[in-house]
Amino acid sequence: MLYWLSNGCIALGLFFWFWGTFPLLGRRSVLFKLHSLSIADTLGSLAIMVGLLIKIPREWPLLVLALFSLLVWNTVLGYVLAYCSSVEMDHD
Amino acid sequence: MTEVMTDWDVGVIVLLLPLAAAMVVFQDNPYHALVVRGILGAIAALVYALLGAADVALTEALMGTMLGTALSVVAMRSSLVLRLGVLATEVAAPTPEFTALCEDLRRGIAPHHLRLEVVPYDDCAALHRALVERDIHGVCTRSRAAALHGPVCQYATVLRVSRLYEILRAAIASPTMHLIYGADPEKVVLVDPVADPFNSTADQADQSEGLVPQEPH
Amino acid sequence: MNWILGAMVLATLIPMYAACQNQDIWQKMLAFASIATKTSVAIIVISVLQDDWFIGMVGSIILSVGNASLMLLAQVLKRLNQTNPGY
Repeated sequence: MLYWLSNGCIALGLFFWFWGTFPLLGRRSVLFKLHSLSIADTLGSLAIMVGLLIKIPREWPLLVLALFSLLVWNTVLGYVLAYCSSVEMDHD
Repeated sequence: MTEVMTDWDVGVIVLLLPLAAAMVVFQDNPYHALVVRGILGAIAALVYALLGAADVALTEALMGTMLGTALSVVAMRSSLVLRLGVLATEVAAPTPEFTALCEDLRRGIAPHHLRLEVVPYDDCAALHRALVERDIHGVCTRSRAAALHGPVCQYATVLRVSRLYEILRAAIASPTMHLIYGADPEKVVLVDPVADPFNSTADQADQSEGLVPQEPH
Repeated sequence: MNWILGAMVLATLIPMYAACQNQDIWQKMLAFASIATKTSVAIIVISVLQDDWFIGMVGSIILSVGNASLMLLAQVLKRLNQTNPGY
């Protein structure tokens, strides 16, 4: 039961990764790509972490630390990248 | 490691490293190369961790990627630049010719990934001192023709770096621009053309020793 | 468990290809951000697979500190673009 739950979480995370990364190859604007990428990376990585946490609960401090830093940093980084790239667009 | 991963799996992941390195090598813009270098650092950290060298992975991520990238971008930002000294009055109220000239200069040095930085100075003495002290790479002032012949402003640009002079001479064909190579900045004479219209940069520079005048194209 | 790592490598290849193709520096930065996250998660997965606390710690540190370089780079590039548009 737990085995399938953890594998399902990891598979879901990997699906999110692929789903959010494929727009990078298209010809859309930076902000569109950033949106899909931040959603995919954050949610996908969270799902993978939760899957690992279910699989091996012994290493929970590491995984929880990684989970929180991922959550905070990816949000801040998305904001900073959006701010920096949109300033250039205003300028042009 | 061996019970969960076969050699084949490790080999596939390790192959990412030469791939990323080749990507760095084939970038021609230095800033793009720096970003791709960050990618290489991330991949390298993954490979080192995979092979069991966690300390090397940490060093690569912190020193190689973070510190290296930060220092390189700061160094590139301050070195890949053409600093052009001008009088503050030009910057305060730029003529159309001055704007076009800056645009020409930008376009001329863009293939070499240089930026143009216009540095304003209060008067000609400060401008000349900056040129002598190698604070700027060149100065750009109005030449005498501006004051004499009506609306079209002509500018004379004196560069003290011969390579920059070669690049710009090959790239720029502007009738309002007079490009001069000043090998010895001490001998360049700068006079404010507004205050003294009959005695200005270009003509003085042509006559003084050590300067190689270049006809406007 | 190897299928996880295989899929992660495949997912890392996509932004690498994107960084290769795209000439806009912000698209390259996006690819860099994506790769940085993906590789550090892969490091944590490896640490769990191998049951190695040290590697897991390194993965967490890389995940939390590695992004700082990206932000620094983004700030400097923004300043660069303001003074000289077109880069």
